[in-house]
Amino acid sequence: MLEATLNFKLLEQCSKCGACFSICPSCMHIPGYDPRAVIQDILDGNHDKWLSSRHIWQCLECHHCLEICYQHYGFENAMTALRTIAAKKGIHPTQVKRGWEMFVKTSRLGEPALPARKKLGLPEPKASGAEEFKKLFALLKAAREKQENPEGKGSE
Amino acid sequence: MKEFAVFWGCTIQTRFPFIEKSTRIVLESFKLPYRDIDGFTCCPEKSLVNNIDHGAFVVTAARNVALVDELDYDLVSPCTGCVSNLATVKGELKANPREKAEVNKLLKEVGREFKGTSKLQHLVPFFHDTVGVHAIKQKIKKDFSGMRIGIHYGCHMIRPSHALRNDDPLEPKKFDTLISALGAQSLQFMTKMMCCGQGLDRIDEHDRALHFARIKLKELKSLGCDAMVLCCPSCFLQFDNNQFLMEKEGEKFGIPVIYFTELLGLAMGYKPEELGMDLHRVDCTPFVKKWEALSTRPPREDAIEDGLNAPVDL
Repeated sequence: MLEATLNFKLLEQCSKCGACFSICPSCMHIPGYDPRAVIQDILDGNHDKWLSSRHIWQCLECHHCLEICYQHYGFENAMTALRTIAAKKGIHPTQVKRGWEMFVKTSRLGEPALPARKKLGLPEPKASGAEEFKKLFALLKAAREKQENPEGKGSE
Repeated sequence: MKEFAVFWGCTIQTRFPFIEKSTRIVLESFKLPYRDIDGFTCCPEKSLVNNIDHGAFVVTAARNVALVDELDYDLVSPCTGCVSNLATVKGELKANPREKAEVNKLLKEVGREFKGTSKLQHLVPFFHDTVGVHAIKQKIKKDFSGMRIGIHYGCHMIRPSHALRNDDPLEPKKFDTLISALGAQSLQFMTKMMCCGQGLDRIDEHDRALHFARIKLKELKSLGCDAMVLCCPSCFLQFDNNQFLMEKEGEKFGIPVIYFTELLGLAMGYKPEELGMDLHRVDCTPFVKKWEALSTRPPREDAIEDGLNAPVDL
């Protein structure tokens, strides 16, 4: 439920085009970064070999590839899919892990800097939606479990 | 003008409260109907949350949008990432009724509903489209004639274009128009549209993040740029903080990094300290000093007149 997907039909076209390669900042400035190779491996059924590669995290999600793509798809979708699979296997960068944990725990990536706010004469920050977010996140998890296991087998 | 909620986002409130300060100052000065509302969470940040769980990304953003939908407000954010993420999810749900129904089924249990009726705008296109260049010009006390500015748009101010629909995604113009309206020269340069590269710092690749910052800062330095102007806390972190770190190691760039709201505030007569510009890591004083020196120069006509009227000495 609400999972990331990948469109192989569009990726087939990507493997024959490569327009994005000429505009992607990581392609230009990171030696060896070449998503055309990644896409070919995905199409050949060999995506596994990229899961532990640094390259899949070096996509900056700047959406340049999406904008220049005549399918308005872009290889960022392929990179996102690989990152998601890698994260599920626990092979994602430490800071990404930390960020995710903080997000799930607090619904934010940091709390307002109160002393600095006071010094600047800023008003009290508004209440966050943390509690409601936690409830919603639990509901999402429960809905997924229900979908995977509709009879309730194996769970309470 | 419709009332709008300001979505401050985590980075500004956690790391750069002075950006909130200058934003509030300009919103107040223009008497814009902005509101602070309860209940926002992280937008959420795409590279962290979407990479791990697309569903969590979608429901969190949908809930934030539902908060403004309910109040019949629009939403404006001084953070490019926040707007881009919220708009991406809004676009996805509007294009996919089945997914929208799934999300709303969950939201209903916490008493919310995503409608997607509110307009979501980044502060820069908001100033361009809704406040307008004319109104901005009327507020200027001292313009930036003679100052050379390198704009850094920030990828997520304008992309993905199908979700944001506010400017040309590869050759945007609106930020340039605003900077020109303030009297400054907006430099055209090779790396203008290059991504800042701050994302590399978030995947434990600090040296590579510095390398990305260096490329743009070097070009701006070679062009005699007086300041980089941007409107994204993540890009600000990259160019202000990381430039500072490189300077500490002996690489000199000397490019002050100024938030759009700070530049606007200066033009309207606010002092750099009132706008929190003394809290930057890279010193903004050279920019302010040059600007002040330019404005105390005698009118250009006078200098020519003096020359033309000088006694003949042949």
